[in-house]
Amino acid sequence: MIEHDFDEDFVPIAAELQRLPYLSPSRDFADRVIAGIGRLQSAPAVAPIKASRHLELQQGGQQAVVQRRPVGVVGATGRAVAGVTLIAAAAFMFFEIDVLTAMLSAAATQYAFTIAAVGTQIGALVLGSSTIAYLQAGALQAVVLYITLVVGLFGGYAAIRTAAQIAKRKAA
Amino acid sequence: MVVFAQEGREDAYRELIKRYERPVFSLIYRMVRDKETAEDLAQETFIKVLNNIDRYRPEFKFSSWLFKIANNITIDHLRRRQVDTISIEGSPDAITAERARATAVTVTSGGESPLEELESRELGAEIEKAIAKLRPEYRVCIILRHVEDYSYDEIAEIVKLPLGTVKTYIHRARQELRQYLGDLR
Repeated sequence: MIEHDFDEDFVPIAAELQRLPYLSPSRDFADRVIAGIGRLQSAPAVAPIKASRHLELQQGGQQAVVQRRPVGVVGATGRAVAGVTLIAAAAFMFFEIDVLTAMLSAAATQYAFTIAAVGTQIGALVLGSSTIAYLQAGALQAVVLYITLVVGLFGGYAAIRTAAQIAKRKAA
Repeated sequence: MVVFAQEGREDAYRELIKRYERPVFSLIYRMVRDKETAEDLAQETFIKVLNNIDRYRPEFKFSSWLFKIANNITIDHLRRRQVDTISIEGSPDAITAERARATAVTVTSGGESPLEELESRELGAEIEKAIAKLRPEYRVCIILRHVEDYSYDEIAEIVKLPLGTVKTYIHRARQELRQYLGDLR
């Protein structure tokens, strides 16, 4: 209500002016206005699909990674034992290797493989099984080569010691 | 709401239109006395305001800014058309009775008896006619003062006239209304 700043004879007219009703435009007025506005915000952008950790950027990022089955500790140990046994048998067959040296060599080799297998499992926990699976699958040949080198190192060491002992006996 | 509209949100635009369409349309209609023209001018007002809402300065009332643009657009229209003779029964341009009915606005009132409604309607119609006889400059000032309850300063800002001129216009408008509505007193 505004403050009176007019003569008393205008009071009834002022009252009538204040009683004048608001008039309404047609019902589609707002739609017509909106249609004429050029700066309307476009529809909200579709949120980018959150990449699943089971998806990789392959074939449009929509192909699931095939989870590789991690190699178990028992399996790795068994393979190591089998490998050492074969190497020891070959050593006995082709070289006259000292039994004790051969056993020590085999034990050391076996422990090394066991440690490697345990390390693989710990790595799987830390880095994730998928990462280890990738490393295992992707670098399988490198691992085989590494095992060959390790076995060869221990085998060579055992052969040198055996040869040294044989030489000592002959000399004696 | 204005902030949301400045971000370009359609729901904010619609809310602003919903909130102000009736006061703006009423002001414009009482200036031009033609429903279709009033709708076109009101539509032009809202489109202009909402397309330029980034220029709105929050130190002023949004409604004042809106009325200012509505007044500018309406005054420009009246200057172009020179529409000074008006009628509550419909557009002054109406040639036939049907056209006159189509361009007239139905004024409704609520909660009154049929007699009171008739008297109120007649009274309201007399007031509308009296306002229509005023010069457009007087008309907008008297409507903003007595219908929209704006202060003199706000009216001066809206119509972009000196404060003294606004006071003079309103004083003269009251005098003329007294003359036209002598029987009411």
